Amino acid sequence: MVVQKERKTINRLKSMYPLRAKVNETYLKSVEAIQAGKPAVWGMLNFYYGDPILKAMDIEVVYPENYGAIAAAMGIAQQYLERADAEGFPTHLCGYSLTTLGYASRMMKELKGQIPPEAPIGGMPKPLFLMSSAAICDARYKWFQALGRYMDVPVWPLEAPLPGIKEFFIEGHYDKMVKLGVKHLRDFVAFVERMVGKKMDWEKLNKTADLMIEVNRVWHEVNELRKATPCPMHSRDFWSAMPAALFLAGDLEDSLRLYQDMYKEVKDRVDNHVGAIPDEKYRLVFAELPPWHSLAFFDRLAERGWNFAIESVGYHPPIPLDLSEVSDPLERITKFSLQFLVGYYEDSRKQNVLGGTTAYPYLKYAKEWKCDGALLHPLITCRSASTHLPYVSDMLIEKLKVPSLSIEGDIVDLRLFNPEDALARAEPFEETMDYYREIRKQEGSDW
Amino acid sequence: MSGRNAGLDKAREIYLNRSKRVRELKAAGKRIIGYPCAYIPLEMLTALDIVPYQTCGDMREPITEADRALPHSFCPIMRNYLDCALKGKNDFLDGMVTAHSCDPQEKTARVWESYTHYPYFHFIDIPITIRPEALEYFRSQLNDFRKTLEAFTGEELSKERLEAAIKPHNRQRALVRELYELTKPSPPLISGTETVQVLKALTSLPVSEGNDLLIEVISEAKNRSDGPGKQPTRLLIWSSTVDDTDIMQIFEGKANVVMNESCGGIRAYRGEVKFTADPLEGLADYYLNEITCARTFRQAAPGETRKDYLRDLQSRFGHLKGIVRDWKINGAIMLLVRYCDPFAFEMPSLKDYFNSIGVPSTYIEYDYTTGTLAPIRTRVEAFLETVGH
Amino acid sequence: MYFAGVDIGSTMTKVVLTDKAGNLLSTIKGPTGAEHRQLANEVMRQALNEASLQIDDISYIVATGYGRLNVPFADCQITELSCHARGVHSRFPDVRTAIDIGGQDAKCMKIDNGRLVNFVMNDKCAAGTGRFLEVTATALGIKLEDMGDISLKATKKVQISNLCTIFAQQEVVALISRGEKLENILAGLHDALACRIAALGRRLGIEPDLVLTGGVAKNIGMVKAMKESLDCEILVPEEPLITGALGGAILANEIYMKAVAAGEALSTKARRLEKATFFGEEHR
Repeated sequence: MVVQKERKTINRLKSMYPLRAKVNETYLKSVEAIQAGKPAVWGMLNFYYGDPILKAMDIEVVYPENYGAIAAAMGIAQQYLERADAEGFPTHLCGYSLTTLGYASRMMKELKGQIPPEAPIGGMPKPLFLMSSAAICDARYKWFQALGRYMDVPVWPLEAPLPGIKEFFIEGHYDKMVKLGVKHLRDFVAFVERMVGKKMDWEKLNKTADLMIEVNRVWHEVNELRKATPCPMHSRDFWSAMPAALFLAGDLEDSLRLYQDMYKEVKDRVDNHVGAIPDEKYRLVFAELPPWHSLAFFDRLAERGWNFAIESVGYHPPIPLDLSEVSDPLERITKFSLQFLVGYYEDSRKQNVLGGTTAYPYLKYAKEWKCDGALLHPLITCRSASTHLPYVSDMLIEKLKVPSLSIEGDIVDLRLFNPEDALARAEPFEETMDYYREIRKQEGSDW
Repeated sequence: MSGRNAGLDKAREIYLNRSKRVRELKAAGKRIIGYPCAYIPLEMLTALDIVPYQTCGDMREPITEADRALPHSFCPIMRNYLDCALKGKNDFLDGMVTAHSCDPQEKTARVWESYTHYPYFHFIDIPITIRPEALEYFRSQLNDFRKTLEAFTGEELSKERLEAAIKPHNRQRALVRELYELTKPSPPLISGTETVQVLKALTSLPVSEGNDLLIEVISEAKNRSDGPGKQPTRLLIWSSTVDDTDIMQIFEGKANVVMNESCGGIRAYRGEVKFTADPLEGLADYYLNEITCARTFRQAAPGETRKDYLRDLQSRFGHLKGIVRDWKINGAIMLLVRYCDPFAFEMPSLKDYFNSIGVPSTYIEYDYTTGTLAPIRTRVEAFLETVGH
Repeated sequence: MYFAGVDIGSTMTKVVLTDKAGNLLSTIKGPTGAEHRQLANEVMRQALNEASLQIDDISYIVATGYGRLNVPFADCQITELSCHARGVHSRFPDVRTAIDIGGQDAKCMKIDNGRLVNFVMNDKCAAGTGRFLEVTATALGIKLEDMGDISLKATKKVQISNLCTIFAQQEVVALISRGEKLENILAGLHDALACRIAALGRRLGIEPDLVLTGGVAKNIGMVKAMKESLDCEILVPEEPLITGALGGAILANEIYMKAVAAGEALSTKARRLEKATFFGEEHR
């Protein structure tokens, strides 16, 4: 029997590989450093708010959300989920949180603080403190609070204001948000200083903030290039390359250089009309969190001519803004982080699309990246990455005549996503996309 | 209808037909503004002569319309509230005010605004901690709320008007606490079911009418001879929401429910708004600090560098100790609403707390439908049998 | 003096009659059907006949189970959890944990000297109950009662990935057509159910002696799979379906004797075997 090698239809960017490798390198270096006794902090994805502080203080950060995804993909999450269940945590809770809670229970109660031997990639050590974030969902800060049951470590929940779209434009509102953010961050810095026993290097923070902003600006530009037809860069490359910008993984100067290389490569493809897949028949937008464990699925879709041109609002860099006049690094960081949350508000208000802060951007994406359809991936235990999807679907068809296909899954229970079933739905959905393309033409759309 | 319990009868009537009074008031020219959550400072509505109306759902209502906008794996209470709204049950409202208390409240608020067309809609953002800067941000949010209310009504929400409104709302809180004094005796003078009806009635009436109702009910109950029978177990129900008599009756089948620590119970009435130079400060302080909903992140000492789990539990749940002692509670039910994250994360820690103060407790989950009530009855009874005397 | 326990479960109704000393005089099982309100008295009648007793002879009657509120001649209702605890303890005096897997639910009970002290239940999802095996047995065209024996012949365990009973049905059919052996599929099915029940048990914490009851306890393949999942010894009573009714009868005895000893009057229901009625009207 001839063993068929899995065909890689997607034309991956060369410049993606070093960016992806950097994540693994950083992680492994971090593990080594921690094993050598360097203190580690467990952090939540905090959208450019807390990370620069920790980076400037040279603190190793471990992200249990990511570790949860790794554990799930490697098939070892089950025992931690079972432990969390036995501890009395309801099973509807976020799969990553249950994995971490089960892990913490195992590490602290059973192994008295030793990293579990079965934990992949060095596991997660008992942290110095826990930095959670209110952004995106409640579970993220409640989960770290619940960890107090197993570990007596301090928790700092980073505030993340989320005003109403119309309310944001009330006079003075933005300034109040900035004021909250800056004061809060200043207190956080003081807290971190106490925890690690050394003072913040403000020059380093200044530089870190600037680099973070610049890295994300370049990364933003890279993604703007994907508007071209055919789309030069697939979502898979976005997901592989994003951690350096989103989590500030690795050395920021190095990251900046790598994203600049990526910009060159993508621009080159645009100029030469090179697409990310051989035969682009359909352009898609993907929402929200990808099935990390089954990304080869996208290659199968690519064989059918599905090019994923844009995706995952939650992971995208903020719309660039000019912060050169802002001298206080804490204010620059605050404003940049807020930009992630409110960057689209102005447009959203103009278009009267009020059903959720992560919903409007999909309208913009579908229009500007000229998408024929949306692939939606609701996750049963991740409500914050799934709740807006019915509205997105509704809004896309109503305002732009762009149809959506919804395929369910979960962040840790990988049995819930069935690639075969999903592919079976691809063919009929192509007919739907063809149909709506006609409708859009009739209505005078330019795609 | 017995004249003896006229107040309780009135409450039951209102419970069964909640929007009757506000529709009358609307016809008489009053403005009615809806709200879904206990974090909305109702004083600010009362101050402008607006009648606040809680836009509750109905456990018996099959969800059909909400599916357009919200997935199934979502807080069933907010799905229910939205469903009722989309079915036009609140069409008499002049507007809605919503808040970022928890994710489902925030997400439903956006969708609610998109799919309905009230003349007025306002969303209040709420920070997650009770740090000083968070409190200040919340105060500024209330100030923004004031601005849109003024624009909508064309009237000034002055300090005097606001203080005049805080008084009857504080009075209502005090009266509800007085009502709960009636559950201290053994047997209690008022049942959990009756209390749910009274409190639900309060969310359907202007504050002054609600206060009158409370005064009537309290005085009747003090003199009644037909109160609940004595049961060996005196229960505390802890939940996000218990505002329906069908579920309360399940608990009261073989026990006395003497305290309902939830929305629909005492949660919105535990403290008092202080009078401050800027009344919005007192309001912000009250609503952020005194509402014991799991969505607010409380710590023994914020940013503490040496954390103590037991001290942390005390800071989060310590208010229950006095309740247990004063109401002679010997059993607690942690009633979780399916898909509720903030309360779900609390449960194991809360159980630890109950264990530390010697109160037997159990978890029960419900999904705000009547279909799950029969199995809940078995769980409640089995729990009572384990506590059993 | 005689006592009765009536257990109206979602699939089976069981009645146990005992004498003062606790000896079993009769045990009757019958299907509950959809109209369980009608059937309680029928099963009771059969039990009385077998013991050569009249309904008036029974000093105290405890009703338990899902339909316990629909037994008009029962003197009191006690949950099946407490009744199972008592019933299991009478057969296994050292029991500390009991797991009952019925047609439509699964329960774990913590027991201290025959008394229920804690419990967890699953009644939301058929995949964690006996129904899971029933449905898949039908899909495979085999008798439910043969499943266990066949599964013991397995040479490997096939992973059943579907969480949902209905989809698992489709999955096993697909596995057969792919050439998987029946016994291996069955082993996989038993394993899947055992894992779910074990998760339930772990929330309580399993302490020996562990006793398994309910219809599923008669399935030797399930007992094996549960032993593996929980990694401990499992005891099964000879009659695993009647522990609830037995416990009810034991409790009836206790309640009655306690009242007699204290000189207290006990309220009892009319000793008439009538069908349960709606609005006081008789149904034919």
